[in-house]
Amino acid sequence: MNDSTASGEASVSSSGNQTVPPKPTKKKRNLPGMPDPDAEVIALSPKTLLATNRFICEICSKGFQRDQNLQLHRRGHNLPWKLRQRSSKEVRKRVYVCPELSCVHHHPSRALGDLTGIKKHFCRKHGEKKWKCDKCSKKYAVQSDWKAHSKICGTREYKCDCGTLFSRRDSFITHRAFCDALAEESAKAQTVVAPPTVDEDPKLQTVASSSPPPPPPQPQPPSPTLPPVVLSSDLPIQSPELPENPNPKQIIEDTHATTGLTGSCSSSSGSSSNGSTRSSVFASLFASSTSSASLQQQQTPGFTDLIRAMARSERTPEMPSSSSMEPISLCLATNHGSSIFGTAGQERRQYALPPQPAMSATALLQKAAQMGTAATNASLLRGLGIVSSSSSSSGQQEWSRQRIEPESASLAAGLGLGLPCDGGSGLKELMMGTPSMFGPKQTTLDLFGLGMAAGGGPPSGLSALMTSIGGGLDLAAAASFGGGEFTGKDTGRSS
Amino acid sequence: MMQFTETPPPPLHQIAPFTSLPMNKNQIHHTRPWPGFPTSKDLGSFGDANCMEQLLVHCANAIDNNDATLAQQILWVLNNIAQPDGDSNQRLTCGFLRALIARAARCGTCKMLAAMANAHTNLSIETHKFSIIELASFVDLTPWHRFGFTAANAAILEAVEGYSTIHIVDLSLTHCMQIPTLIDAIASRLEVPPLVKLTVAGATEDVPPMLDLSYEELGTKLVNFARSRNLMMEFRVIPSSSSDGFSSLIEQLRAQHLVHGNNGEALVINCHMMLHYIPEETLTVVSNTNPTPFLSFETCSSSSSLRTMFLKALWSLDPTIVVLVDEDADFTSNNLVCRLRSAFNYLWIPYDTVDTFLPRGSKQRQWYEADICWKIENVIAHEGLQRVERLEPKNRWVQRMRDANFRGITFSEDAISEVKSMLDEHAAGWGLKREEEDLVLTWKGHNVVFATAWSSAEVT
Repeated sequence: MNDSTASGEASVSSSGNQTVPPKPTKKKRNLPGMPDPDAEVIALSPKTLLATNRFICEICSKGFQRDQNLQLHRRGHNLPWKLRQRSSKEVRKRVYVCPELSCVHHHPSRALGDLTGIKKHFCRKHGEKKWKCDKCSKKYAVQSDWKAHSKICGTREYKCDCGTLFSRRDSFITHRAFCDALAEESAKAQTVVAPPTVDEDPKLQTVASSSPPPPPPQPQPPSPTLPPVVLSSDLPIQSPELPENPNPKQIIEDTHATTGLTGSCSSSSGSSSNGSTRSSVFASLFASSTSSASLQQQQTPGFTDLIRAMARSERTPEMPSSSSMEPISLCLATNHGSSIFGTAGQERRQYALPPQPAMSATALLQKAAQMGTAATNASLLRGLGIVSSSSSSSGQQEWSRQRIEPESASLAAGLGLGLPCDGGSGLKELMMGTPSMFGPKQTTLDLFGLGMAAGGGPPSGLSALMTSIGGGLDLAAAASFGGGEFTGKDTGRSS
Repeated sequence: MMQFTETPPPPLHQIAPFTSLPMNKNQIHHTRPWPGFPTSKDLGSFGDANCMEQLLVHCANAIDNNDATLAQQILWVLNNIAQPDGDSNQRLTCGFLRALIARAARCGTCKMLAAMANAHTNLSIETHKFSIIELASFVDLTPWHRFGFTAANAAILEAVEGYSTIHIVDLSLTHCMQIPTLIDAIASRLEVPPLVKLTVAGATEDVPPMLDLSYEELGTKLVNFARSRNLMMEFRVIPSSSSDGFSSLIEQLRAQHLVHGNNGEALVINCHMMLHYIPEETLTVVSNTNPTPFLSFETCSSSSSLRTMFLKALWSLDPTIVVLVDEDADFTSNNLVCRLRSAFNYLWIPYDTVDTFLPRGSKQRQWYEADICWKIENVIAHEGLQRVERLEPKNRWVQRMRDANFRGITFSEDAISEVKSMLDEHAAGWGLKREEEDLVLTWKGHNVVFATAWSSAEVT
């Protein structure tokens, strides 16, 4: 970096005839403030930077931005003139630093690559903003900025009194109509006995000043002529920074709502543990419907009715808060009557049910109340895995382990019941992936072979589901047992 | 309802599963490519939309054939290849998977599934109740609705020029979201500000997007806004349901029409993605539960559907302009597989577009996709009167309008350029197509939403 001319009052012309071999390889366009290290650094004074027509004709006082232009002008006065010859060698690249000491572009390493650029920079950042937009009062230091703004003023930036900023007129209008800010404002306007309509339509302003221009009204509130409403009008269009904003757009991560999704993601990718938990769930379900009549009886009334009933009737305080993820099996258990509550029939079910939902009992009730039978949802298959997929050795996990053991045996039985499956242990391992956690018994899920037959894919709950189609009865017992046991735990904990 | 959502924080030990969730997720991702085992990504052919569609079709068939075993096998496969956080096709398929399970549960072919589905209603993505401001910014994200708004507003504005009173009947899925811009346009572009009467059908159905504000409050805001634009506006809600062809709305309009005629008043019927909720021919109304909504229509005949009758009734009101905007797809088939294919080949679009305007994991995106899922489920899992998403393609609507004696109005060049500049504000994949007199919004060349404008005036 060559600092030779970096003095305060250096002028452009003074550095004009430096000749240094230009850089041979032409770079791509330099980024602002990242000058070519070989360039000549030029520091101009603020005065120079702000001066517009520095080259004045001594005859007619006309000013020119460039000496060359002045020279051409002098020719018209029959004054001696000279044009600089373009040097045969290429002119050395120059960069310009900002005279403002505190500015990052003051340092040669961040110098700007062209004279116009540094001038605009200096004006914008350190100069006076003397160009003011008539429509929105926004001020600019550089005339061209002001011109550019004037063209789009009223078309690009909209700010509601509530602080929300809009880039599109339609968006602003729609928001504005429904925003409380408008209601407040017009209430204000009315109490001040201002004409009710004036608050924000420039067309109205113009009406007030008795010139009716056809162009569509600008959305900005300001109507300086009408004091009562001006309250709101100093906000328009100004700075782009968003104030703390009540705008719904902002993305708030809400654990409550995301749980369902996250849960499902994690489980859908199918770890072995997922599979096992699910299998139990499915198994019991299947069992109940396919095997013993008595079980079926209990089950068929359907959760829906049950849930609905619940939603309508009392909301038992026992339903622990939303986070009882565990549980699917729980509900099954209750249906099978092995609940710890020991009471019989409907009542017991009502108590036992809530913890069942893997996510939120309240949400479940709410949903049930809203939707009635509209039972839906993908996460159905997925949510199941959530609990067991947590690798921490929480009590829960242990629980699932316990439960899996009995069940696995019965699943094996299910295999025997003619499901298309090769069931080889090699395959088991292949599909299971990480069998470590649950020990050998867990191979139950060799039924994943099924899934393979059906098209392959990582193991997950449904395989178990398929399995259980055949294996119902035993599973029912197993699941209900496990579920019952768990119910006890859960209630113990939550109470 | 509120007390349900505001449950006290759960005891710590119960939170444990939640807090450890992200970690689990990572772990699962790390261990995912099991040695020698194809992951869903490697499945290649399984991952593409065609295959997913095939699987869904097979599954739908199996469910309808009571083949629980096969259904569940396919469901399992689908479950593995269609992840709710996957790419757009996977999420689409996931929505259908969910819907198929709901269907299986509903028709009782797989009772265990029924139990499952019911037990897990809590896991379903809940359709969000929007605040009015939320809805305004939500609708604003994509041309899906704005296309219709822009085209309709332009056509309406041209049609009502010179009238001293404009009566707008807004039959819109989006809860009057179009009205502010229309008010603004009327206030600013018409030389003499007219009196605006706004009538909306206070829908009794809960169809997303759902609003947490009553129409009365909504109306107050709109009237207030109109006043701020120096426009006098009257607002009226007529409780009315699409399920009976908005009969009470029609009745009231007709009464008004009989008494006053339309003297000096422009009647604007703005139908924005609403008419497809009116039952059409494929729905045979069982009138034992629902005593003949037909009675409200004079021209009751067993052969014509509520949809047909609604349009005829509309025509008899002699509206100045009817704007009909709706999604260009066919969800009416009574055959589940046909419907599934049709829906699958249409509803990929909202999933495909969402990446261009909502970041992954954002709240709004969840709302957005939950609303699509709602639609999928309605098309797939429901039957009869409950199946309200009965889209028809543009050509069929055009035929219906012509059969009802309406005459098409061509969108002006101004209207088209307004729509174009609106589209310029959105992602590059959106496009505008002119088909005869109508406009069609396209995404990557596929028809998405059509806009048509109609007049009841006789052809001269």
